[in-house]
Amino acid sequence: MKRNKTIKIISLLMLFMLLGFKSKVETTTYKCMIQMTNYSGEGAYVIISLLNPEGEYDKTLYVQGDDDEWYSEITAWWKFHGKRRADIDAITGATISGGGRMISVIEIENSKIDTGYKIRFETVVENQEYYKDDVEFELTSETIKNKIKGKGFIRYVRMMAQ
Amino acid sequence: MTISIWRYSHLTLAISSSIFIVLAALTGIVLAFEPISNQLKPYAVKHADALSLSKTVENLRVEYDEIIHIEKDKNNFVIASVITKEGKNETFYINPFTAKKIGDIIEKAPVFKFATNLHRSLFLKSTGRILVGFMSFLLFLMAVTGVLLIIKRQGGVKHFFSKIIKDNFNQYYHIIIGRYVLIPIIIVTLSGVYLSLEKFSLLPSEKKSHDLNEELLVGTPKIKIEDFSLFKTLTLNDIQRVEFPFSDAIEDYFVLKLNDKELLVNQYNGTIISEKKQNLVALASSWSVLLHTGQGSIMWSVILLLTCIAILFFMFSGFTMTLNRRKNSIKIKNKFSKDTAEYIILVGSETGSTYGFAKALYKALIAEGKSVFVSELNTYSSYKKAKHLVVFTSTYGDGESPTNAKNFEKLVGHVYQNNTLKYSVVGFGSLAYKGFCKYAIVVDSLLQLHQKFIPNLSLHKINNQSFEAFKNWASSWSKGKGLNLKIEKPVNTPRPKNSKLFKVVSRSMVNSDNSFVLELKPAQKLKFNSGDLLKVYPKNEQRERLYSIGKINENIVLSIKKHEFGVCSGYFSKLKKNDMVLADIKQNKDFNFPVNAKEVVMISNGTGIAPFLGMINNQDSNSVKSHLFWGGRTKDSYQIYSELIDKAFYSKKLSGLYISFSKEESQKKYVQNSIVEKSDLISRVLKNDGVIMICGSIAMQNDVLETLESISESKLNRPLNLNQIKTDCY
Repeated sequence: MKRNKTIKIISLLMLFMLLGFKSKVETTTYKCMIQMTNYSGEGAYVIISLLNPEGEYDKTLYVQGDDDEWYSEITAWWKFHGKRRADIDAITGATISGGGRMISVIEIENSKIDTGYKIRFETVVENQEYYKDDVEFELTSETIKNKIKGKGFIRYVRMMAQ
Repeated sequence: MTISIWRYSHLTLAISSSIFIVLAALTGIVLAFEPISNQLKPYAVKHADALSLSKTVENLRVEYDEIIHIEKDKNNFVIASVITKEGKNETFYINPFTAKKIGDIIEKAPVFKFATNLHRSLFLKSTGRILVGFMSFLLFLMAVTGVLLIIKRQGGVKHFFSKIIKDNFNQYYHIIIGRYVLIPIIIVTLSGVYLSLEKFSLLPSEKKSHDLNEELLVGTPKIKIEDFSLFKTLTLNDIQRVEFPFSDAIEDYFVLKLNDKELLVNQYNGTIISEKKQNLVALASSWSVLLHTGQGSIMWSVILLLTCIAILFFMFSGFTMTLNRRKNSIKIKNKFSKDTAEYIILVGSETGSTYGFAKALYKALIAEGKSVFVSELNTYSSYKKAKHLVVFTSTYGDGESPTNAKNFEKLVGHVYQNNTLKYSVVGFGSLAYKGFCKYAIVVDSLLQLHQKFIPNLSLHKINNQSFEAFKNWASSWSKGKGLNLKIEKPVNTPRPKNSKLFKVVSRSMVNSDNSFVLELKPAQKLKFNSGDLLKVYPKNEQRERLYSIGKINENIVLSIKKHEFGVCSGYFSKLKKNDMVLADIKQNKDFNFPVNAKEVVMISNGTGIAPFLGMINNQDSNSVKSHLFWGGRTKDSYQIYSELIDKAFYSKKLSGLYISFSKEESQKKYVQNSIVEKSDLISRVLKNDGVIMICGSIAMQNDVLETLESISESKLNRPLNLNQIKTDCY
């Protein structure tokens, strides 16, 4: 029994150490531009998330729009975010209106490139549609430089390593 | 009562949308403070408007790694979104002269967030937005119907802004304020509707896209951004937003949103590669936002704020007016039908105030035993037994008929009258209007031309509802009819609740003291006791007057002294047998007869005797020995009470009676002198746990208490026990 306890403590310590190292992983910042289509109506809420190879939410990278009344309308993300209630640093106030562009700086771990991770851009506009994967593509060294077209309110997305 | 179609729509719109409009106005008041507080923030930089774009860019490029965009917000504060030297993306207010950050972007305060949501969607999201947009449209319609009502009332478009006659507070300010905030209301409602339509993409989209001149997308000659001639000529005043190219690629360019157009600019040489004029929808949208929210203008925000307050006032005054009108127009319950009445009174009234006069005449005629029938001019028909017709009518607008008189002209033409009727027309109006009593003149001439009508009196015009003028008319009208009309003034102020009716059963003469006794019988069964108070409201006053009452055979006995300028006592003194009085009874248990006492002494002067008149005549008080002290001025003063006192005395309900006169030749004695004379009686009562009741003037009370104190001290060797004393003095 006593030995068991010692093992538990050691493994816990190792876990903490691991976590401690984890925060020092290498990341790259990207300048990311979202160009919206000429839709009319309210400004769009845009959420940029990282998806793991299984297609599950891994991390919220960026949130455009701070009126949480509408967050629940972004259903796919809300299921994930709502449960975890993770703190999101990158929330900016204004939504983006039709024809507008948004440039944000996001940080992605280098280990997530070329390893089956995906980036997803979700959009929703009050009283209009919700696009779960307005833009979604696998993060590879190649795709990340491309101009990717959107299906909904986003005309295209461009990313550029800083 | 029929009301005009415009007033009906105005009112229906108001009722159906009232809750929404009140909410919108309340939140609107809150929201008006947002642009005001924003404008007061210290982010405005002096002379920034005159700074050239090239200089601004140059300053920013020194300070930051990269510029993403430069923007001017609605308050004219300059915002820059940059990537800092640390590689972070930040957006903040800058001083364009130094490019330094001067503040964080204003975050919408929670109170404004809350108010905004409530204001535009009632927290009902899309459904709420549709509702609010629709209500906004209704409010616009209300403004329109309101304008029509003002035009009608003022007698034409030309008089829209001419003087308004102040008939009544609510009505006057409803119109006055209505004229002032009419334009803001129309602007606010239409922009609100526009914004709702826009949010639901219901507006025509005429979004032109840029027509890019690909040939101009060249990298030569390469010029520094600061040296672009376009950037040198543009100042911050011309610019709404400048978006910097995303990358160095030649396909990326500057996007310049100016006040009236959008330019795409080559990032290498500064040539314009495309120009797009702002379209109409975009222009209308930006104006709608500005006008509806007041962003960027303290003055307009204040106007919006006042408009919201005015809307709340309209709701209040409008509904008050409607309620008053309804109350005024309460139909008289006719005792006689149109075919049995001798007197016919027809009323034409827009606001219902003329009904008050019709009611007064009706009551006076009924009191004289006449058969009367009152109705609206619109219901004019044949009257089989009628001999007299009286028309009371106001005038609407510029000489038009009130709504409930619209059909009269037609009816009077083809309704057949059996008898020949004597008629008299009374016009109500205001000399301030040009068409003073114009419609009454029309009615008068219609009747003059009619074979079955003979004028009784010439047309009588009454200005500003003057009651005196009305009374004069009534007396000349009743002359020769053998009528003795008592016209009572229509009461405008609402009677306090719980008022009850009492009938005057008997009343005494006014004696040399100017006092008299009144006996009132409650119209309904009432529980009360001698010593309770009668609450009376003088005409048109809210302040109540209280009279101590005696109770004899379920009736109220009052003793009142008439004061020269006393409103209430003056009113009472004029009452005659069978007159009706409105009043209420207020319990006064502390001064009711102490049924459990062994012996009671009642002390009073003047009219203070009233409750005791009841107590000594009460059957139940047999077991209690009672003594009455009363002080008056002369023997004559006593006459009005003697009957009731004798009655009690002979039926052995009163054991002792001690009267003193202060102004009589033979005797100059006050009530306290009689008490001193009867100090043995007093001390006995005090000793045997009896009760002493005092009612009358305060001066008398003080003297009496002093006397009682000294009796107690000298005869009983103890201070006066105040628990044995009950008082009701004034």
